Amino acid sequence: MRVSFTEWTKSGSPWVWLNAGAVAICVIMVVGLLSLIAVRGLGHFWPADIQQATYSLNGEKSRVIGEIVESEQVPAEQLRDAGVIVPEGTLMMRRDLMKIGNRDVTGTDFTWVLDDNLSDRSNPEMLFTAERREWGNFYGYLRALKEGDKLVGQYDGYEKTPEYVALWESVKASIERALIIRKDIYQIEKHEIGSINYELERLRLKQRALELKEISDPAPYAEIEARRKELNTSYEGLQQSLIDLYTEINRDTIIAEVSDGQQIDIAVAKIVRAFRPNDMSVGAKLIHYAEKIKEFVSDDPREANTEGGIFPAIFGTVMMVVLMSILVTPFGVIAAVYLREYAKQGFTTRLIRIAVNNLAGVPSIVYGVFGLGFFVYFLGGNIDRLFYPEALPSPTFGTGGLMWASITLALLTVPVVIVATEEGLSRIPRAVREGSLALGATKAETLWKVVLPMASPAMMTGVILAIARAAGEVAPLMLVGVVKLAPSLPLDANYPFLHLDQKFMHLGFHIYDVGFQSPNVEAARPLVYATALLLVAVIALLNISAVQIRNHLREKYKSLEM
Amino acid sequence: MKMTTNAKTHGIDISSLQREARTLDLDTETTTLKVRDLRLTYGDKEALHGINMDIPKKRVTAFIGPSGCGKSTLLRCFNRMNDLVDGCNITGQILLDDNNIFDRTVDVADLRRRVGMVFQKPNPFPKSIYENVAYGLRIQGIKKKRDIDETVEWALRSAALWDEVKDRLHESALGMSGGQQQRLVIARTIAVKPEVLLLDEPASALDPISTLKIEELIHELKNDFTIVIVTHNMQQAARVSDYTAFMYMGDLIEFGVTDTLFTNPEKKQTEDYITGRYG
Repeated sequence: MRVSFTEWTKSGSPWVWLNAGAVAICVIMVVGLLSLIAVRGLGHFWPADIQQATYSLNGEKSRVIGEIVESEQVPAEQLRDAGVIVPEGTLMMRRDLMKIGNRDVTGTDFTWVLDDNLSDRSNPEMLFTAERREWGNFYGYLRALKEGDKLVGQYDGYEKTPEYVALWESVKASIERALIIRKDIYQIEKHEIGSINYELERLRLKQRALELKEISDPAPYAEIEARRKELNTSYEGLQQSLIDLYTEINRDTIIAEVSDGQQIDIAVAKIVRAFRPNDMSVGAKLIHYAEKIKEFVSDDPREANTEGGIFPAIFGTVMMVVLMSILVTPFGVIAAVYLREYAKQGFTTRLIRIAVNNLAGVPSIVYGVFGLGFFVYFLGGNIDRLFYPEALPSPTFGTGGLMWASITLALLTVPVVIVATEEGLSRIPRAVREGSLALGATKAETLWKVVLPMASPAMMTGVILAIARAAGEVAPLMLVGVVKLAPSLPLDANYPFLHLDQKFMHLGFHIYDVGFQSPNVEAARPLVYATALLLVAVIALLNISAVQIRNHLREKYKSLEM
Repeated sequence: MKMTTNAKTHGIDISSLQREARTLDLDTETTTLKVRDLRLTYGDKEALHGINMDIPKKRVTAFIGPSGCGKSTLLRCFNRMNDLVDGCNITGQILLDDNNIFDRTVDVADLRRRVGMVFQKPNPFPKSIYENVAYGLRIQGIKKKRDIDETVEWALRSAALWDEVKDRLHESALGMSGGQQQRLVIARTIAVKPEVLLLDEPASALDPISTLKIEELIHELKNDFTIVIVTHNMQQAARVSDYTAFMYMGDLIEFGVTDTLFTNPEKKQTEDYITGRYG
């Protein structure tokens, strides 16, 4: 049956299609965005095969070894202009970006090669990758292992013989040993010496404070001096064991062959892990993959943030959001209660409400500038002058830090909490309030015992929106306390445990820093996606937990069916 | 207070609602509330035009009248609920034990404890049944668990609810039926032992069986409380009240013994209303 266009319009179907289409576009965009960052980010950790090929350019032949990262088409004209000999008649050529590693030898991690000029391609299973603490990845053939000056094993061929396997196993054992020693070194350097340094600094400040107060009694000075001596003694002890550990860790060296046949030495202490991707089964690759992901979320960054993990950034983000929530919730709720319950509804309250709503629309960088000018320089400066004069001229609170960042974001998100709470308060049925008042409760008692608990899900909605906004915010943070690399976490074992004055790392800023400020852009790009994915995950997790709390409250204070 | 057998068994026994045969006379009653020339305005509209009446002690007084006649407004004056309404202005006096409740020295919270109120729709708090009844006690600062337990049980028994809820005292009050919720609200109100109980159309949102239970309950409660009830339902007024006041357009038209008012009204307006000629 044919239906005329007018009738079809009248039936409302186009409207339904339009609505459904809009929803579909939203879903596609969200799914597309998430899958793009997920694929790009997570793919980075998969152990890619290493290719070996002969590359000829303008008649010169050379051996290249590396991972092909991506390919693109380039106009042949452009290549000719660059002096590359290109066969007549070709318009476009495919070129591949190859990660060749060995930055210490070649000076660069990545190189472009023309796909057509690669010949004799193979994936030799003897090729190995070594992730290093310096100079990026190494790709090449293992040749020998040395303990001090003594040669432990040696192998010169390209076949997987028992000799080779024995050498590979001893190298793996040597790396394992170095990693264990490194753990000890880390423990001593970061925690034990860290604590001593922290206490020494506090002693210095204590002494300075005494001097500033012009106390001449020698007793406290002597006490400080005695404690300092103690600390210095234990520091020297630790220093000695550090020296021993370093001698131990630097014992082994491996010799490996790079693509042009040259043999180089690599200190085992510098290797994080070594593996032969071409010789790995899918299961082994999966284990490797899981290890890399674990490293990514739980380790400190290495190599100007382009390698290793981003745990400090995750920690900083969560910490800041939690502090922000703790600050913003009471403040916003109290303001909303006054506006809705106590203030006389009139012109002034309307004006205030408009102002609050508009506050939510102020660009975040403006809050950053305000935070820097007011909180950091004015408040922080004065706090330093009043409470930390002994540390001056180096600032304690007079510089960006966790506390100022949290307060700035709390200010940024307080309108959301106010609006949501007001909304919730206005929805409490009048009958319930009257019921409480009729029992002889005062207004304040009614508010505390009946109204606020019933409005708590609405408050949580406000907090959820605040978290969603604050966790993704980067611009204001750059002014009030985020840094690209923070030496220590804001929460540690040194009194007072939570260091509100410390600078911290943040996932959002980390994305910007790694992606656009890194000296090694090609290496950093996958990490941008991975970090973005993680940021989304962290925000989702924070939101989900807040939603859980809200649902629990909703269940508890189910509104009356009226 | 004792429980009647029929309240315990939840059987609906109409006979229990029949008033005992005794002579009622407004002039011989002790008075709890005296209303003196009470005028109430919302903005510039006068809703009550000078009401004078004496509410007798430990009796049920019903206010009847067509919608908008001011009966609920008058009721809400007794515990100063109208204070919450913006632009509401009251002149005249209401004397509770010879003290003017509009006096500045009066503590409104204390007044509301002494003059409890039950609203048209059940409004339990989103708390457990126990906590609903204990709410007023906790507000008064009673902390001893044993005292609270005792009073909660007494109030629930008085409201003929104890047997229905004693096994689920700590479950949410919002899971109860409408009729149970309304009786819970009554229990909550009498738990603080008020002198006067104001009922603002307490059964209008309930089904007939729940309504009957509430009416039975009113009959029981008047032994201990002075009860003032606003109702749209004239049969209900006739069933439960000792005295009835008929109001019309903000004026008190007639106030007298219920039987007399319904059988032999003095005023023409009253007769017209109860015979259904308007309203």
